[in-house]
Amino acid sequence: MTMTHPAELGDTRESATEPVLSVRDLTVSYGSEAGPVRAVRGVSFDLLPGRTLAIAGESGSGKSAASLAIMGLLPDSAVVGGSVRLDERELLRLNDREMSSVRGLEMSMIFQDPLSALTPVFTIGQQIAEALDTHQDLSRGQVVKRSMELLDLVGISDPAARLKAYPHQFSGGMRQRVMIAIAIANDPKVLIADEPTTALDVTIQAQVLDVLKLAQRETGAGVVMITHDLGVVANVADDVMVMYAGKPVEHGTVDSVFDAPQMPYTMGLLAAVPRPDRSTSGPLVPIEGNPPSPVILPPGCPFAERCPIAVDQCTEAEPALVTHGGPNAHDAACIRADEIVEQGLKYTDVYPIPELPPREANVARAERATVLEVKDLKRHFELSSGMLRRKTGTVRAVDGVTLDIRQGETLALVGESGCGKTSTLLEIMQLKQPMNGRIVLMGRDVSELGAHQRRKLRSDLQIVFQDPMAALDPRMPVYDVIAEPLKAQGWTKKAINERLGILMDLVGLNPDHVDRFPEQFSGGQRQRIGIARALAIEPSLVVLDEPVSALDVSIQAGVINLLESLQARLGVSFLFVAHDLSVVRHVADRVAVMYLGRIVEIGDVESIYTRPRHPYTAALLSAAPIPDPQVERQRQRIMLSGELPSPTERISGCRFRTRCPTYKMLPEADRAVCEAEEPDLVKEGETDQQRACHFPMEIK
Amino acid sequence: MLFLATSGVYFLASWFLDPRSNYMALRPQPPAASINASLDYAGINDQTPIFERYWNWLTDIVLHWNWGYSPVGEPVSGVIWDRAWVSVQLVTISTALAIIIGIAIGVRAAIRKYKAFDHVTNSVSAVFLVMPSFVLALLVVLMYLMLQQRFDLHWFAVTGLGDGTFFSYMQHLFLPTLVLTLVGYVGFHLTQRTYLLDTMNADYVRTARAKGVPQNVAIRRHALRTSMIPTAYGIAFSITGTVTGALFVEQIFAIHGAGLYFIESLSKNDINGSVAVAFLGGVATCAGLLLADIFVAFLDPRIRIS
Amino acid sequence: MTTNASIDLSNQDSEVRTTVKRTSKHRLILRRFCRNKQAVIGVAIVLLMIIYAVFAKYLTEWDYDEPDFLNLKQPPSAEHWLGTDIVGGDLFVLSARGLGRSLMIGFIASIGITVIAAFVGAAIAYVEGWFETVGTWILDMLLVVPTFFLLAIMVSKSSGTSGWIWLTFALMLFGWIGYARVLRSIAQSLRDREYVAAARYMGVKPLTVLWRHMIPNLGSILIIHTVLGVVYAVEAETGLSFIGFGITPPDTSLGVLIKSGSATLMTAPWMFLTPALLLLALCYSMTKIGDGLRDALDPSSESGGKA
Repeated sequence: MTMTHPAELGDTRESATEPVLSVRDLTVSYGSEAGPVRAVRGVSFDLLPGRTLAIAGESGSGKSAASLAIMGLLPDSAVVGGSVRLDERELLRLNDREMSSVRGLEMSMIFQDPLSALTPVFTIGQQIAEALDTHQDLSRGQVVKRSMELLDLVGISDPAARLKAYPHQFSGGMRQRVMIAIAIANDPKVLIADEPTTALDVTIQAQVLDVLKLAQRETGAGVVMITHDLGVVANVADDVMVMYAGKPVEHGTVDSVFDAPQMPYTMGLLAAVPRPDRSTSGPLVPIEGNPPSPVILPPGCPFAERCPIAVDQCTEAEPALVTHGGPNAHDAACIRADEIVEQGLKYTDVYPIPELPPREANVARAERATVLEVKDLKRHFELSSGMLRRKTGTVRAVDGVTLDIRQGETLALVGESGCGKTSTLLEIMQLKQPMNGRIVLMGRDVSELGAHQRRKLRSDLQIVFQDPMAALDPRMPVYDVIAEPLKAQGWTKKAINERLGILMDLVGLNPDHVDRFPEQFSGGQRQRIGIARALAIEPSLVVLDEPVSALDVSIQAGVINLLESLQARLGVSFLFVAHDLSVVRHVADRVAVMYLGRIVEIGDVESIYTRPRHPYTAALLSAAPIPDPQVERQRQRIMLSGELPSPTERISGCRFRTRCPTYKMLPEADRAVCEAEEPDLVKEGETDQQRACHFPMEIK
Repeated sequence: MLFLATSGVYFLASWFLDPRSNYMALRPQPPAASINASLDYAGINDQTPIFERYWNWLTDIVLHWNWGYSPVGEPVSGVIWDRAWVSVQLVTISTALAIIIGIAIGVRAAIRKYKAFDHVTNSVSAVFLVMPSFVLALLVVLMYLMLQQRFDLHWFAVTGLGDGTFFSYMQHLFLPTLVLTLVGYVGFHLTQRTYLLDTMNADYVRTARAKGVPQNVAIRRHALRTSMIPTAYGIAFSITGTVTGALFVEQIFAIHGAGLYFIESLSKNDINGSVAVAFLGGVATCAGLLLADIFVAFLDPRIRIS
Repeated sequence: MTTNASIDLSNQDSEVRTTVKRTSKHRLILRRFCRNKQAVIGVAIVLLMIIYAVFAKYLTEWDYDEPDFLNLKQPPSAEHWLGTDIVGGDLFVLSARGLGRSLMIGFIASIGITVIAAFVGAAIAYVEGWFETVGTWILDMLLVVPTFFLLAIMVSKSSGTSGWIWLTFALMLFGWIGYARVLRSIAQSLRDREYVAAARYMGVKPLTVLWRHMIPNLGSILIIHTVLGVVYAVEAETGLSFIGFGITPPDTSLGVLIKSGSATLMTAPWMFLTPALLLLALCYSMTKIGDGLRDALDPSSESGGKA
């Protein structure tokens, strides 16, 4: 790995100027029923103009509280300590009115949820104008002119008309662009972005990150990027600070931290994320356990309890953040960091690699039994409005989906939100005659089932939901939760008791804990309960609806490993719906890419990821961030223009052509083909891959 | 909706009210034929099939806007509109006052959360919230009369609506309106306070602060308007309460409005009269719904656009 | 791959832990309730009122049907603790009797309302389809005409000592409508919870789902509404009695007493003030108890249950 290029880049920038924002020993705490919560416990950093510092960490690490404390936006009940200096001016001593003259002018912020961040009853124009009028004395004409410039800069077309629109007429990605426009309206010196793309789809995320970089170039601002996504860190950051339990545990340039992490927590994080650009057949490396509660913190290193190389000394005192190491020197808070640097330890040396049971001998796909067959499935919803239920449009949520799942394999369904993947899944779960097409489960056409047979067939089909809390009845102990499907299938109490012991063990939970309630478990453990419930009656097919997207990466890895080992042991098939392409690459055997209710490309994971033929697949893959700064820097992205069209819209011919990069470059005659004919899935030679495109991408 | 509801009330009233008993109780009892003749004239003879009576009642209303007759043969339409007008004034003025006062207190209380103003208004509203309107009305009367006795004041009057001059009218209207306003404002105060407290922490208020707008300005400009949307929906519910309150207030202050007419009708077993008042109550509710919709549309551009 | 490392801090015998945990859950609710001083005072007041209503007649020599003809319209004195009415009835015992009647109507009607509202609300929300549309429609229609008018029409002719049963029935019949709407919207959000969907996908029968998942999760709201429903029922009863319908003499209730007191507002204010203050204290305490319960059972919902 050559370090010269990025290091040079870093050097030139570092020597540029004095830090614009300087934070020293920032602390935040607030009261709660259980006692004082110490959310942030000493954050220090310097931000240089034009540089981007990423603060990375899992939920509850205190990264958002730290950013709000810098902006002075925490509620009055929070106690903030330390020092925040903006150009040598101490901010923490300012009152709200004094702080208001700083906020929006010298320092501004972009928030996570673009849907609720804009006032619904004011126009976009009014909200941008407010940002300008608060700090500048401009005429109406100047305000309008500047607003239009700003909208134009963030890539919103037809700014004159859009200024008069209300937020609800904008999509999430567009609203986030407006937020950026508001944030840079007064050319701030510091821009804080709190998870700005977490709520967005990958293709939109790529667009918004680009806009953010452009905004930074225009204003020359220093950017603080708060994120949990290491791929985003690799994409945008110059420096990175990793936080754990309210404290920074590692801080350095992106390259040095990603190349040579010194703190076992950072190593674990990097190892726990699957990568979309690499085929990893082995197990992921999870970090065992859960972060400590911010109310009762252990005396020593907060990570010691989960750290595989912890020694007695670790639990005695909390290690300070100090510089270690040679060529990749940076700060880390670990007493064994020097050893790690000297011996060049990698995560494979630090973490025990979990073992997965071997998968059963590779029987060719064609010879395995078909578990689920879906043919030309359609689901349209009528939209109506008003008292008289006038029909105002049709949502073609699922519009001709054909797929099959063989015994023991995992098919992943991917696509942007609104592409119809969840509708497809719910339609299958109904086990009823669909609006159009056929659903055949275990060789039985569901339209021919009676009520009793349908209930029996349900034992072959189970589901795991995204949100592990919402999926478990909070008033039921775990025993009743897992026993519910068994009771529904008429099992005896004795059989249920035996089965429960096996199941709890199988998903890695203590069988003695069956009397506890869901709220007593952590998120990852709740998801394990959900999985145990789904597996209780030995189904042939389990539908997994975003099963790990609500979990932090260190927990996520454990659940993914569990799913893989269960599949190897039980031979169950999975239909896996996900938006995270790296997780999909890791768990799936086959993948189907959906766009506006149809599958545009389907095939085995390796073929799809290495040589996508459909331009949409290629765009999705190129938008997925990779947690590797060097790779990120050299990537060429295929940017999709615009956003997912409304599913009520009827697009003639190929429904992707409105955003298709290929279509834009086609000669007139070829375009006519795209406009007139809807492409069907076509087999790609002798392989498993099929794509629905008239002019597929070249194989590199 | 209103039509179905009123029809429902008609059947309910026909089932439970027994105008024949008025005559049966007379001593000497009038002859059966004469009783039937009177009841037939009013269209409320229980010996006529209910659907026939309903049909006649309905066609009279639709074709002639005639709401039937009382058991003694007085036309309902003759008196009810004048009486309704009296009640409408009472209800409208006090509802308007209740909305203005309630929202004003609610906003101030929310902005000064947990300060003295909030505590005081909260305790006061908690008492008014549970106080039935007739108890409140009687208390007001009692207190005023005691004041009058002690200091020989004659500012207001506690019966009727006066002799027709504007000044006398105001004198008479003041106390009943005060009672109804007190009954109505509580709901607006408490909902406005709750919703403003909710929206004060909304993301978009934080966005406004991040732009450099001071906290108080951000709340006034961004939270206030959105928080008034759910309060506006409450207008519809509040009208029902005020109408019921008006019933008691008219009784206690001897105001000859529709509410008092309803009480009189019921004690006289006047089916047509009571149904007509119930219809008016329904009209008031619908007016409340309409008013709520108008306010919401005014406050919320999302509704206006779609 | 086993990560049962740190479920929590204890490794006690799970059997013991469960029982401990369950009682502590109730104790937690009790503790949260007790923290609300107004609610605790409310409970004390209501208990005192019940005791008063039951035992008052044993405390004095007077009985409600034995007027003291020598003391007509007398203010409170040593002989008649709360004074007498125009026919010489002792207000201490009369108020106790009226309060008892009002309490009885209030509690019975409120429990009845809650039961009806829970089933109708949950069923409408769960069953979906045209049943839901029609159900919602009927509910909306019944709300157009103020309920009080309907009540007045229904009970205007009831009289005598059995009148209160009829009144209670009428209160139940119309009282559930408003609550059913609230419950329906809550039940609808419950219906969309994933654990309900999960149960359905497991092949659990609809009625079992209703019973096992929906009603228990509505539980806290039902308890709160039962308490607040008493206020509604008592206010409706006294209101009806006040305008001369509902409870009528010789039976008595707080409303009847207030009505007779209002006739002598200036000459004998104690006749009005005694029952009026009892009524206020009752309604106020019940509201505070309801608020306390809401905070204790449902700490997350700030304005839950408001129409």
